[in-house]
Formats: sequence, C-alpha cells, structure tokens
Amino acid sequence: MSQAVKIWTMLLLILLLALVFLLIGSGLDFDYLIPKRFMRLVTIVLGSVCLAVSSIVFQTIVGNRILSPSIMGYEAVYLLWQALLLLVMGTNGLMMLGVSGNFIVSIMLMLVYSWALHRLLLPRCKSDVFMLLLFGLVLTMVIGTVTQFIQLRISPGEFSVFQGLSYTSFNRSNPETVWYGVLAVATVLWVSRKTLPVLDVMALGREQSMSLGINHAKYVKLYLALIAILVAVSTSLIGPTAFMGVFIANIAYALAGSSKHKVTLPIGCAVSIAIFLIAQIFVEHVFNYKTSVSILVNLVCGIYFLALTVRTRGIT
Amino acid sequence: MRLLFLLLILLCAASLMLGSKQMSIVALFDFSSDAWLTITASRIPRLIALLLTGVGLSVSGVILQHIVRNKFVEPATSGGLDAAKLGILVSLTMLPSASTSNKMLFAMLFCFAASLLFIFIISRVTFKNSVLIPVLGLMYGSVLSSIAEFYAYQHNILQSMQGWLLGDFSRVVQGQYELIYIILPIIVLAYLYAHRFTVMGMGEEMAASLGLRYAATAALGLILVSVTVAASVITIGAIPFVGLVIPNLVALKYGENLSRTLPIVALGGACLLLICDIFGRVIIYPFEVPIGLTAGGVGGVIFLMLIMRGVK
Amino acid sequence: MITVSNLHKSYGKKSVLSDVSLAFPTGRVTSLIGPNGAGKSTLLMMMARLLEPSSGYVSLDGRKISEMRTSEYAHHVATLRQSPGFNLRLTVEELISFGRFPYSRGSLTIEDRRVIDEAINFLALESLRHDYLDELSGGQRQMAFLAMTIAQQTDVLLLDEPLNNLDMKHAVQIMQALRRLCDEQGRTVILVIHDINFAANYSDYIVALKNGALSFSGTSAQVVTATNLSELYDLDFEIIRNERGCLCNYFNLSGVRG
Repeated sequence: MSQAVKIWTMLLLILLLALVFLLIGSGLDFDYLIPKRFMRLVTIVLGSVCLAVSSIVFQTIVGNRILSPSIMGYEAVYLLWQALLLLVMGTNGLMMLGVSGNFIVSIMLMLVYSWALHRLLLPRCKSDVFMLLLFGLVLTMVIGTVTQFIQLRISPGEFSVFQGLSYTSFNRSNPETVWYGVLAVATVLWVSRKTLPVLDVMALGREQSMSLGINHAKYVKLYLALIAILVAVSTSLIGPTAFMGVFIANIAYALAGSSKHKVTLPIGCAVSIAIFLIAQIFVEHVFNYKTSVSILVNLVCGIYFLALTVRTRGIT
Repeated sequence: MRLLFLLLILLCAASLMLGSKQMSIVALFDFSSDAWLTITASRIPRLIALLLTGVGLSVSGVILQHIVRNKFVEPATSGGLDAAKLGILVSLTMLPSASTSNKMLFAMLFCFAASLLFIFIISRVTFKNSVLIPVLGLMYGSVLSSIAEFYAYQHNILQSMQGWLLGDFSRVVQGQYELIYIILPIIVLAYLYAHRFTVMGMGEEMAASLGLRYAATAALGLILVSVTVAASVITIGAIPFVGLVIPNLVALKYGENLSRTLPIVALGGACLLLICDIFGRVIIYPFEVPIGLTAGGVGGVIFLMLIMRGVK
Repeated sequence: MITVSNLHKSYGKKSVLSDVSLAFPTGRVTSLIGPNGAGKSTLLMMMARLLEPSSGYVSLDGRKISEMRTSEYAHHVATLRQSPGFNLRLTVEELISFGRFPYSRGSLTIEDRRVIDEAINFLALESLRHDYLDELSGGQRQMAFLAMTIAQQTDVLLLDEPLNNLDMKHAVQIMQALRRLCDEQGRTVILVIHDINFAANYSDYIVALKNGALSFSGTSAQVVTATNLSELYDLDFEIIRNERGCLCNYFNLSGVRG
C-alpha cells in the first residue's frame, strides 16, 4: 500500500468513526446532544494532534522510541497546580479563575517548568537521554506524593473535583479554550512545517546531523519549546495522558512503514484520533461509563506496546 | 555499621514515644495503665511492622537487582507492587470473604508471575542500557495498574482500593498485622543464600562456570521477593523506593559482596523507614502522613540525587 | 582429557558446527583459531556446558559431561567469557574468593584463603587486592577475572577471546600466565583467540575451524605454515621463525589476496 493510499484510508476511517461518534444513539438531536458531542469531537481531535505530534517529534530529537514528553514531569506539575488551587481557594477558586483562566495559567506554569528542565537538567544529562527520562519519571512520582499529601487535606467535595481532573477526559473544554488551543497548535504546526526535513536528519543522531550541517543544539531548543506548548495545551484540554503518547507513536511507526516525518506525523495524528474516538465510543456506549478512557487506552495500548518491545527486541 | 545499629536503637525509642496519646515514662512502670496498653496494642506492633517491612523491602530490592542485573530495579519499578495489588483485588472480587491467607496467596502468585514475565521481557531487550530497564518496569507496572483499575472501576471499588493500597502504618494494630512476621524466615533464608545471590548477580555464564544452578537460585530469589512484597502490601500497603535506594547507597560505600553487605542493607532499610515514619508523624502532629507518601517523597528525592550523581 | 565427538550445532536451517571430533591434549595449551563465524566460540561454549549440542557429545576423562551435575563439573572445568553486563561492585579479593564457590559455597576455610592468596601472587595482583573492580583498567580487570578462574583450581580452563580490548602489555601478561599455569601446574588451557601471533607463539597445539568444520589441527610447530594459514584466513601469509619465536606477517602492504 503506497503512502498516499494509506493516509487517505486512515482519513476515511476517521471520518467514519467521527460520524459514528456523533450520530450513534443520538436520535438525531441537533439541539443539544449533537453539539455537545461535536465539542467533544473537536477536543479529541485537538488533544490527539498535540499528543501525537509532541510524542513523535520528542522521540526523534531524543533518539529513542520509548520516551514521551508527558512523562517528563509536565503532567505532575499540572496536577500539583490544580491541587494547590483547590487547597488554597477551594472549588470557588476554580470557578473564579474559570476554565479559560485555568487553561492559560496551567500552560504558563508548564512552560516555566520546561525552561527549568532545559536549563538545569539537559546540560548535565547530555550524553544520556535515558537518565533524563528516569529523572522525569521519578520527579513525577515525587511531585505526585506532594499532590497526594494535599489531597489528604482538602475536603471531600474538592477531592472529587480533583479526581475528575486527574483522568483523561474530553468533557472539560468549552469553545473558548478550544479556540485558544487551536490557535496555539496551528501556530506550532505552521512554524515546524518547513523544518520537517531537518527532523528527518536529526533522527540520524547528533553527530550525524552535525556532520550533515545541521545546528543540532539550536533545533533541539526550538523543538523542545514547541513540544512544551503542545504538551501544555493537551494536558490542559484533556488531562494527563502518561504513557499513551509512547503507545500511539509506536503504533504509528508500525503502520507508517517509513520514518519520514511527513508520513509519520499525519499517520500518528490519525492513529491517535482513531484510538481516542474508539475508546470514547466504548466508554459511552459499551461500558456505559463504567470505565474510563485512560484505563482502556493504557490497558490495550500498553499490552500492545510491551508485546511489540518483546518482538522487536527493544531495538529502538 | 555499629553507628547504624545505634541509630536504629535511637529511632526505635523515638518511634515508641511518639504518638497522638501523650505518655510519660513513669506511667510505663505501672503495668496496668493505659500507657502500657497503647504501647503493646499499637506502638510495639507498629514498630515491629516497621522494622520487618524496612528490612524485607530493602532485601527484596537487592535480590531483584541481582536477578535482573540492574541497579534501578525493585518491586515498584518492576511491576511487582502493582501485580500484588492486582492479586489482592482479584482475590477480593472472586471471594468476597477472602481471608488474609487467601489474599496473601493471590498477591504472592500474581507478584511471582508478573516478575517472571518482566524478566522474560527484559531478557528479550538487547539494548541493555541500565536506565531503560526501570523505565520499562514502570511502564509495565502502569499497564498492570490499569488492569487493576479497570477491574476496580467495574466493581465500583476504585476509590476504596486507592485508599487501602497506600502504605500506611497507622492500620497496624495487635491482631491485625501478624502476617508480617512471615518476613522473618525470608530474611534468614536470604542471609543463608547471600553468597549464592551474589554469584547469580554475576550473570548466567559466570554462575554456570562456578557451578551454581542459576535458574533454581533465581526462582528462589523471586519467591522470597514475592512473599515479602505480598505480605507488606497486604499488611501495610505499597511503599515505593526503599528497595532501590538503600541497596544503591550501601553498594556505593561497601560494595556488593552480599554475604558482607546484606546486614547493612537490612539495617539501612529499617532506619530509612523509621525516619520516614517519624517524619510523617511529626510534620502534621497529631495527625500523620501515610508512609507511602513520606517514603515516596524522601526515597524519591534520594533516588533523584543518585541519578544526578551518575550511578551507572 | 577432554574430547568432543561428532558435535553438530544448528540454529534452524543454519548449521554452525558440523561433525567436529577432537581430543584436546591434557596439560597443554591449545588455541582455537579461525575466521569469524567459524564456530570456535560455539565449540568452546559446548565444552563449557553453556550450550547444548544438536547432536554429538563432549566427554571428560571418558564420562559424558551432560551426565555430570553442574556443581561437579565446576570442580573440573572453569570458563572465562567476556562479561559486558558485569557491574557488581566487588573488590579484587572478593571476586577471586568467588572462585572457591564450588568448594565452600561461601564459607571460606583456611585452605580457601591459601588458594586465594596463591592466585593473587601468581598474577602479581597484591597491590590491587582491596581495589574495586570498576576502578581498574580493562587489563587489570581481566587479570582479576583470570585469578578467579585460577582460584577455582580446575584441571581445565576454557577462555573465550581473553585478549579482547587489552593493551599489548596486559595481553602478553595474560598469555605468559596461561603458559605458566600449564608448565608449572599442569593445567589444560583451551582458548579461542583471534591474534594468530599470540596463538602461534604461546600454544602447544592449534585447532583451526572454518565454516563450522575442522580445517586442520596439530602442534603449532607443524601446522603454522604459510599454506595452512593463507587457506584458513584468505590472506597472504609470510611466516618468519627465529630464536625469538614465530612471526606471522599478513599485513599485505602489496594488496589483499583475492
């Protein structure tokens, strides 16, 4: 199957899924049900694009396919901020700030965190990216314990609000935040459009790309900043996604059959959208909300990913 | 090592004295007083559980590290803890009136099977960067966790599961914690086999050359680990990082000849857990922070420092 | 005496070793040589019981080794391979003491300590006794590992490319030590080695493998000839013998033989 055919097939599949998602069991209620679903659909698409692009680009820069930017600690910072907000100002605080306000502040915080990571950690772990990842994972757990500690101190009402925030969910956005998200993502994608060939070369590794004339350090900085924005938008829109980015990226590589980014990125987005749509459909109609998207995706994709690792002997 | 021992005694004393009920030493001498009841029903069992768990977890960590031959492996980073959780969950949903020994059996079996699977996955990964293994372990653990969550969500016990799986010593009360004593024979066995575990840590080929039956020793090690993890998760809940941080710190200073360093590892584990526990009880006195959180925080920070220092 | 009879090894359809039968002389140094993929390491591993043959058997002093228990075999044969994953933090002395594992399983007796000291002195490692392995150079580490196999006090020593990644001085020291083990203590040493010059100068017997089959074998004086080696390695050889030993020049400044 040629690349073009693949991409078109995927697009068709997604269109189909989207229609199913919108219309199934809705009784064609165009006044209330379908607009709500449409909002969720847009959130899914936006979140998926952010997730897929940030994961794939991050994996290229860093040279390994089991990493994902989400586990570098961004999501822990996001959750900590939500918990602190609840602790200090209660659920009223959340109201006052508003969904959009919260959205913007969260993004700012994650960008600051990204900058701190970049300045303090990256120089010390330059040769060993895995060290960076392990550091991020453990930092996530440590920040997580602080967050859990705060959870002990907040009231049950605040606690259930917080619980709602800590799972991936497509119900949290409103038109305003979606617009901000679209703006941010569109800007990022536009900026990086021209640099896709550079990404392909960077996949060869630091030394090779420098030998081919690419200013490696500069591009790493650029991409890390763009990734930070994407991760921030995705986390604020749909919540923490943990390892999902890794699973999605690897499924995309397996399907794409090529490592050129102009193929893997669109396929990655398509895979991501498809997975989330299917998961959400299952949650809504098959499981009747007795499970959640994170659980389903982590479960299914996680097992697939581990099986893939065993089969390919972890060669990355 | 003597210093460590002294520290341990001091910490034990502090632990006994600390608590929401104020006590005076004088009251202790009256054997029928309330103070004595507090001590025997709650403080001493708590102390014993603390010591045994600390020793058990750090010893489990060091055994796992020798089986997988990686410095960053321990029950929390190899799926063991999450598997034990899953086991308890399954036992609860399948036999609602499950006795402790039932839970123990399930937890142990799940932990053992999951660790075997993990070792299999690792053995197929040819790129043996030392940091890749715990990363894979954490991912593996999160897959197991999501299986547990899926299950729990279905049966509507997700909330309570989160509650009773967080490591918490305040649950320890006379009559409820005796399962933890099973760690004692485990430690004795581990000490007897310490030399063999070190040989095992040299790799299959070296072990074979020296005449050690690698598979049998590894299986025994895994059983010891599974029993310890299962017992501690059931009695107290999940406590991460202790099994990772202590063996690494001890190895830095004393090397990895287990017949010599195992006692130090054990003592270190007990001390660390005691410190975390006292810290948790003091910081928001008279309430306490569960050990799962303090150990996660303190242990995590030490782990981060070890990473930065470049422990390879 | 360690002998292999009709050894075959194949992975699926690919045959790595076919019908190899050999008798390795006791109390001598034998080198296994040959190009990459010839099956030398495979043969050694089967003798070390680290690999199962597809057919055929290995016997030690008339007994099939597959019938011996692992712990018993360790009293007779010690193996040293490359250990890239070895990263235990042990001192040199601790490592060497593990060589006594087949005998004392951990509790060292006075006799054990004597053997350990002997091994340390044999390789002149006294000054490194209390140093940690990860602080030593590659050559020193290899010496420590060799000392461990010496302390194991076996009749047979199997070594897989012991000189890899060693500088010239340490390589010479290792080969001299192996020579002394054989001459002074009567041990049998069998090693896989790439450097034909070390093989030619330090071994009594040479076994050459190519494409999984035996190419030639005999004393080094007999079989180290330009014809044999050129055929084996597909290179142009010139052998120069003088009182210092034997020099095999294959550096081919005039071009590689087709």
